[in-house]
Amino acid sequence: MTQTAAQRFLQDAAVKSADLVHREIIRRGMDSYDAAHLKGRARIKDWEAAREKCQEIKRDAINHLDRFLLQFEEKVVARGGHVYWAANAEEACAYVKNLAIRLGVRTVVKSKSMVTEEIHLSPALEREGIKVWETDLGEFIVQLRNEAPYHIVTPAMHLNRGQIATLFREKLDPGISSDDPADLMAVARRKLREAFFTAEMGISGANFLVADAGVVAISTNEGNGRLCTSIPPIHVVVTGIEKVIPRLEDLAVLWPVLATSGTGQGITTYSTMIAGPRQSGEVDGAGEFHVVLVDNGRSQLLADAEQREVLHCIRCGACLNICPVFRHVGGHTYGTTYPGPIGSVLTPHLNGIGEFKHLSYASSLCGACSSVCPVKIDLHHHLLQNRRNATESRVTKSSERVIFRMWRAVMSSPSMYALGGWTMRKALRTLYALGLAGTILDPMRVWNRYRAPVPLPSESFRARWRKDRAAS
Amino acid sequence: MPQAKEAQTENSSRDQILGRIRAALRIVVSEPAVAAGDSKRVIFQTIDDPLQRFEQECAANLMECALTADGEASAQHLAKVLQSLPEGEAFVQEDPTLRRLVQLAAPARAIRWSTEGAPGEASQVTVTLAEALIAQTGSILVSAGCGGRGASVIAPCHIVYARAAQLVPDLATALGCISQQRTFDRNSFACVISGSSRTADIEKILVQGAHGPRRLVVILQSGT
Repeated sequence: MTQTAAQRFLQDAAVKSADLVHREIIRRGMDSYDAAHLKGRARIKDWEAAREKCQEIKRDAINHLDRFLLQFEEKVVARGGHVYWAANAEEACAYVKNLAIRLGVRTVVKSKSMVTEEIHLSPALEREGIKVWETDLGEFIVQLRNEAPYHIVTPAMHLNRGQIATLFREKLDPGISSDDPADLMAVARRKLREAFFTAEMGISGANFLVADAGVVAISTNEGNGRLCTSIPPIHVVVTGIEKVIPRLEDLAVLWPVLATSGTGQGITTYSTMIAGPRQSGEVDGAGEFHVVLVDNGRSQLLADAEQREVLHCIRCGACLNICPVFRHVGGHTYGTTYPGPIGSVLTPHLNGIGEFKHLSYASSLCGACSSVCPVKIDLHHHLLQNRRNATESRVTKSSERVIFRMWRAVMSSPSMYALGGWTMRKALRTLYALGLAGTILDPMRVWNRYRAPVPLPSESFRARWRKDRAAS
Repeated sequence: MPQAKEAQTENSSRDQILGRIRAALRIVVSEPAVAAGDSKRVIFQTIDDPLQRFEQECAANLMECALTADGEASAQHLAKVLQSLPEGEAFVQEDPTLRRLVQLAAPARAIRWSTEGAPGEASQVTVTLAEALIAQTGSILVSAGCGGRGASVIAPCHIVYARAAQLVPDLATALGCISQQRTFDRNSFACVISGSSRTADIEKILVQGAHGPRRLVVILQSGT
């Protein structure tokens, strides 16, 4: 029988959290992010006010989504661009694929876009014999490894320089001797330079769609996003409908907040604004400009009275970085396009609560994610709501429901609770005395397999309470 | 407009998606109101001395910023930077001031003017103007009018010639100017550039010079 997503998650989580090389890479990566993030936040005078402002902007945008999308469309179309509305992944892929075929595209250069990952655009183009180059260094690395991005901002953060040097030797040039990050970047730069100047189509995502100006805002550090949108004669933007914001001036807060939360920078190096195809008299730029607005479950999330604000997400990755679960199990374990807390909230909405209900439990509900979210999404409460929704929609196992019913009965009866506690203390004491802690017979096996058992108390809390009260 | 017609007719899902959005928005969501007085809170530090802040942020962004007193000093600095670069074609935005400057600074170097088409793959350096400079983030704002899109990203070195009067205190002011001057009526592109191209995708280690320029030089001449 094939594994379910939940079984795979548990298995991969166990493997990854015991992988010492992986742990070391992630610890170092997260340490340097933490330091940069805190420093970046300190540069903003009133971080809480900035978060509230961003929340307000995104709320305004999402609560008038139809109006702002139409305003954006009107502007883009007036300048000679095309806007395509795709209800789902198939429609979005088919549009880009047909456009590429119609215009004779052989090679595509892509800058980083999580929506294209979500709809599996690259495989769809490659099935038509179109060569697709990921041009963001991290994306390029995971593409060479035939892997999904590990993290939504830093896709290759699970690899160290040695592993990347080995990969480049295997796939690009056996003569590579250095594993210095600057030298590895130079190898990728040379390789991708050819691609930028031969590709007929550039595909990018969007960080924001600005309604009043009709502008696509793209933030990149490497400049690959700039090249993808400057050199090829066709530029296709693939993005989600929730990316729209009302006004150009909103970027004055959103850009610094996105950069601070994403990497700790004051602003991303290239904060690009594209308003349409190349205009007459301009030196360069794509003559064909298409924006694909992807719904793919988002309008359904919009109708969720409790979780509409999940659409506020600006994909900065801060909730992944702070999450103790992500830091232990890593990005690939989630088995989803969007990992970490935001992915655990979003995936059941996009891909079905039945298969992905386990993700709501990939959290200690510590709330760290909600505390760092730059648009103040109440992530951990949404995880709780997803747990409840899964139970109410009866996609949970019947055995699980029986166990919880029993648990409820015991927890709501003082005498049964006392009896349960007494039984467990006796049973565990005997078990541990026999040296069976952590074995298949141990009800606490999940904990005790990798840890020393917690010492058992000699009496119940209630007994101690009574005694202490009597003594005082 | 023909495009408008095409954009609508080729798209069967458009009305369906809009319908779903409108139906969803009819559902009332109770959201905690933003507390009164919040709009008065100051998010970013007030900038008292824009020039000082600009220089400080340029340094943090690993950009070079040279303050010059007049056109002659600017030409001298430009000459110095160009001399430090390898031989090869320079791409220069077509502009009378830049023509004078470049002819003074590097009479011998091969020049491709922006009116002759986009910069080539082997272009060594680009010289352009900027729409504005932003003190808050140590940024330059360029548009398609500043030599095109590729001018600020293809060559390994980008030199920007700007005047002190172009310096604005913050992003809000710069974006306000774009809206007010209707920059996107004349330009299909604009970009706020804050430093040289970089990546930290390998072990979060900063590498300067990724796909774009390794060097970004601002020659900032006093006056208007």
